[in-house]
Amino acid sequence: MDALETFIVESAIDSEKAFYRQIIEDNLSSLKLGPAIGRIKVVLRPEDSLFQMAIILRDVGTKVTTLDMADVEAKTGASHEVVISIKKERYIPELLKKLWARHGKANIRQPDRWTVAVDSDNPQEEAEFIGNMIVADPRHTLHEDLVDFAIRATPEGFRVRYHLFKGNRFVFVASEEAMEKEWIEEAGAMLEELLAGGKTK
Amino acid sequence: MTSIFLPYLYTGGVHKHGLILELLEDLGGYIIQKVVTGTEVNLIMLIPEEDVHLVKELSDELLGVLLEASLTGVEIAVVSPTLASHHLPHSACDVAEYLRHPGANTNMIGLARGMGRRVSLSMDYERKLINEHDIAVFTFGSFSDCIINKKPKLFEGIEIPIVVTGGPDLKTEDVPGADLYVGGIGRVSHRLRHINETDALDTLNEEIGKVADKIRKQLAKDPLAVLPARVMKEIENQVPAINRVLSPAPITMQLNGLRVKLPYDEYHERLENLEFDEVVVLSELANISRSKMKNYILIKIKSKSDVGFAI
Repeated sequence: MDALETFIVESAIDSEKAFYRQIIEDNLSSLKLGPAIGRIKVVLRPEDSLFQMAIILRDVGTKVTTLDMADVEAKTGASHEVVISIKKERYIPELLKKLWARHGKANIRQPDRWTVAVDSDNPQEEAEFIGNMIVADPRHTLHEDLVDFAIRATPEGFRVRYHLFKGNRFVFVASEEAMEKEWIEEAGAMLEELLAGGKTK
Repeated sequence: MTSIFLPYLYTGGVHKHGLILELLEDLGGYIIQKVVTGTEVNLIMLIPEEDVHLVKELSDELLGVLLEASLTGVEIAVVSPTLASHHLPHSACDVAEYLRHPGANTNMIGLARGMGRRVSLSMDYERKLINEHDIAVFTFGSFSDCIINKKPKLFEGIEIPIVVTGGPDLKTEDVPGADLYVGGIGRVSHRLRHINETDALDTLNEEIGKVADKIRKQLAKDPLAVLPARVMKEIENQVPAINRVLSPAPITMQLNGLRVKLPYDEYHERLENLEFDEVVVLSELANISRSKMKNYILIKIKSKSDVGFAI
């Protein structure tokens, strides 16, 4: 599944659809959720004070180790250190946090943007440990981010909310009125539609 | 003979800007606000109509820019349904910021319970606070159904002109209770800087300028007993405490009054006894009351017909 391979926003009035699509895009990008979402469908019915959203997530469950994001090399020449050459900049903050906790800030240098050097008495062993260290677990923060995204995208007054997060499926219904069973069922049907739907844009 | 004052905005270097201040004092004009940012200075001022060319010449000599600032001396309330991230900082702050370009002073007001369709409401305190301003700008969202059918109940009790911004392209007549509707500024989660968005903001500024002109014309039929700018100058001369106020606009001008950012209890008597050369005190010319905003002082100037004379 590609990122955002299906992105549907439905509303009775065309121009309002465009406004909402823009709001959803902005919120997705500010929470960096774009790559995590495979298919998304949003239905708006302002006359019923109703907002429904169904999302199918992509497989982002894999944990990131240092070797996934960088090359790790032990240096045993003049200086004893482990040199980490970064390939994916995105996880640097998490990596540094872990390294600082283990080795202390004084023992870690960043000569440039792409290099982190860790002083160590036993570089060989340390390089192996750092290489297999889990740096980030995207799934851990995903649930939090998704709920945050849903609340940000919903019109503010719609404070009666229902949400379901199971595996890679996320359903969200919000309204101003008491929640009705049909609305949740409709959202469920939207999810089924997305599961069945291929690459339609 | 009373001269007509025109609002202008001077932008230029700090170097020698004192010359402009001196010239304006000689001409009998008024400085409304002076903002120094680094090496730049912004002066919002009222210049006597017949002397504008003199200030223009000096401004050219100093390589500054002199622009007409149609919203000078107008205090605008930018009202957003709540202060949640759905409305702020975009687009309500963008609207407020853009309105400051032509010289307006804007205050952001987030209602406590303004969100939603059925549940939205405003409180008495909020309505009174909004009514202290010259113009209220309500920033609404993207659904025409909400703007037309649901949100206008927030206008109840608002006595000043109401401007509404929203996403859809509606006509002013469609929005009950609104004096003006400007579309293309709905709920957005990014900064308004696309061409069509800044165009909409330009239209908003232009149209609000017209609303302000209409109020000015109405005021001219029964003029104020004293110019707000003159009261401002007298306060600066007679109440030194105003110079120690850290707000960007310690005295905020309105079309028919002023907001003085000093505590009411300590200073209202000083202001009531503010003297003018014509041997009158301010309390004869204006109503001085406690502002709903932070215990400030609100001065609303009476009209000539109320007082019997104008100075």
